[in-house]
Amino acid sequence: MRALCWNGVNDLRVESVADPALLNPHDAIIKVRLTTTCGSDLHVIDGLIPTMREGDILGHEFMGEVVEVGSAVRNIRRGDRVVVPSFISCGSCWYCQHELPSCCDNTNPHWEQGEPVLGHATAGIYAYSHAFGGYAGSHAEYVRVPFADNDCFVVPESVSDEQALFLSDAAPTGYMGADFCNIHPGDTVAVWGCGGVGLMAMQSAWLMGAHQVIGIDRFPERLAMAREHAGAITLDYSKADIHEALLELTGGRGPDSCIDAVGMEARGEGLSQVYDRTKQLLHLETDVGAALRQALYSCRKGGNISILGVYGVMDKFPLGLMINKSLTIRTAQQHGQRYMSRLLSHVAKGELNPAFMATHRFSLEDAPRGYEMFKHKEDGCLRAVFAP
Amino acid sequence: MSKKAQATGTHSAHETQLRRWITVGKPADQLYALWRDPATLPQIMAHFAEVTVINETEADWLIKGPLKKSYRWRSRIVEEQPGVAIAWESLEGASVPNEGMLQFRPAPGEWGTELTLTMRFNPPGGAIGKKVTALLDLFPKEQLSKALHRFKSLAETGEIPTLDGQPAGRHSERKDEEA
Repeated sequence: MRALCWNGVNDLRVESVADPALLNPHDAIIKVRLTTTCGSDLHVIDGLIPTMREGDILGHEFMGEVVEVGSAVRNIRRGDRVVVPSFISCGSCWYCQHELPSCCDNTNPHWEQGEPVLGHATAGIYAYSHAFGGYAGSHAEYVRVPFADNDCFVVPESVSDEQALFLSDAAPTGYMGADFCNIHPGDTVAVWGCGGVGLMAMQSAWLMGAHQVIGIDRFPERLAMAREHAGAITLDYSKADIHEALLELTGGRGPDSCIDAVGMEARGEGLSQVYDRTKQLLHLETDVGAALRQALYSCRKGGNISILGVYGVMDKFPLGLMINKSLTIRTAQQHGQRYMSRLLSHVAKGELNPAFMATHRFSLEDAPRGYEMFKHKEDGCLRAVFAP
Repeated sequence: MSKKAQATGTHSAHETQLRRWITVGKPADQLYALWRDPATLPQIMAHFAEVTVINETEADWLIKGPLKKSYRWRSRIVEEQPGVAIAWESLEGASVPNEGMLQFRPAPGEWGTELTLTMRFNPPGGAIGKKVTALLDLFPKEQLSKALHRFKSLAETGEIPTLDGQPAGRHSERKDEEA
């Protein structure tokens, strides 16, 4: 089959590789219908994530059709149209039983690589380095899905491929971020980052009863999407003093909850940005974190900070802001399996519509070009979607 | 930090004991029976040792190191308390004499059973002692954790997570060859 392989920093090529086979009894093989880029792929492509291996197939956000199932698969059948969360979850361990599927204990074959870095390894994820499992990704004609009964979710007819696609990662991540905010009537939720995850967090905040939703970014087309598709008031951090603007919108209290949907790519302004970026380039620190620092600063006292952006091991963190302002921090890698049935129901009822995020569509052969456009946000590219 | 640096940081020349813990969501009796199943040890140790079960109590271990070095021993179970503990040791002629023990105790709440795996390598001293250090470099505590995790996955899901045979664009067969 054809697949998009990572061959080193910024070296992506579509190559011919073997078709995936069933390797374990709970596996299924999915014929990929749609697969998309995610901001976290850029960390991998840029070489900021160690333990990638040359030749790894990229892609972790996808949907498709089941073409083969293992001997122990009971509920999923050949021909099912399914969406699959990016983190792989066994469904049996304590973490899966307690709605923490991205903490699954039984899906990371490379425990010995994850443990030294994190203390305990995470669940396996498709195409996100070997410390995170090393599973072959979805930017390919076919992909192997372990624990198919637990991880394949049948898409109802009323939900389109493009809607279902983003339920694999961007939508559950954003929805989880809003869930972490414990939203009450009257709450203001501010979201740093108007990419796919941030936009989904904004739509979700409304669904959970927010009174006001604010989107922060610097790209005009992304701010426009936040207004048009997520009903947000938008702030351009390259033009406005964000702290002042947030105080103005909340009677001086600050937002009740702040969601960081940016992560280690966050750009600041001025000298602190130069310092952060230099350290990142020298691999002294993989994080930049301007968004998170600003969120901690502007959040109201006793408010919630929900961190969705992906971070490495940050070496400086304004802990004093958390303590003195009595902030609650919640964060996780996405627990897609926890939210999937709710998300499918929201989409079927027209309450959540992620399909607008598919701004650019490519064949799999053109995937490297798609990543270029996505990375540089050319032509307002929010997400590049590949149809193998 | 490299794995080697970690291993040497953790094990001085005299310290040759490795110990790791894991909690498995199954009762101790069931886990004990699974550990004693002759098919289990070869599967859960496959990432670092080729284990061949000889009979009810004995198994041959082969660890392949770099530069075609290999370490071999035959182990024999010397203590069995079903649901509580199982201990084994290497027989005469082991290239690195060693002993191991797996202990079981109930975990609180819904957690199941807590397992403690201990492996002790007995360096004979001198030049051969250096071999043990080399072995511990091959077999840092993360490998012991990995063996326990493979056991846990087998117990909880009936399978061990693997990438062996998945596609990748790195060599002629375009497939991964790893556990």
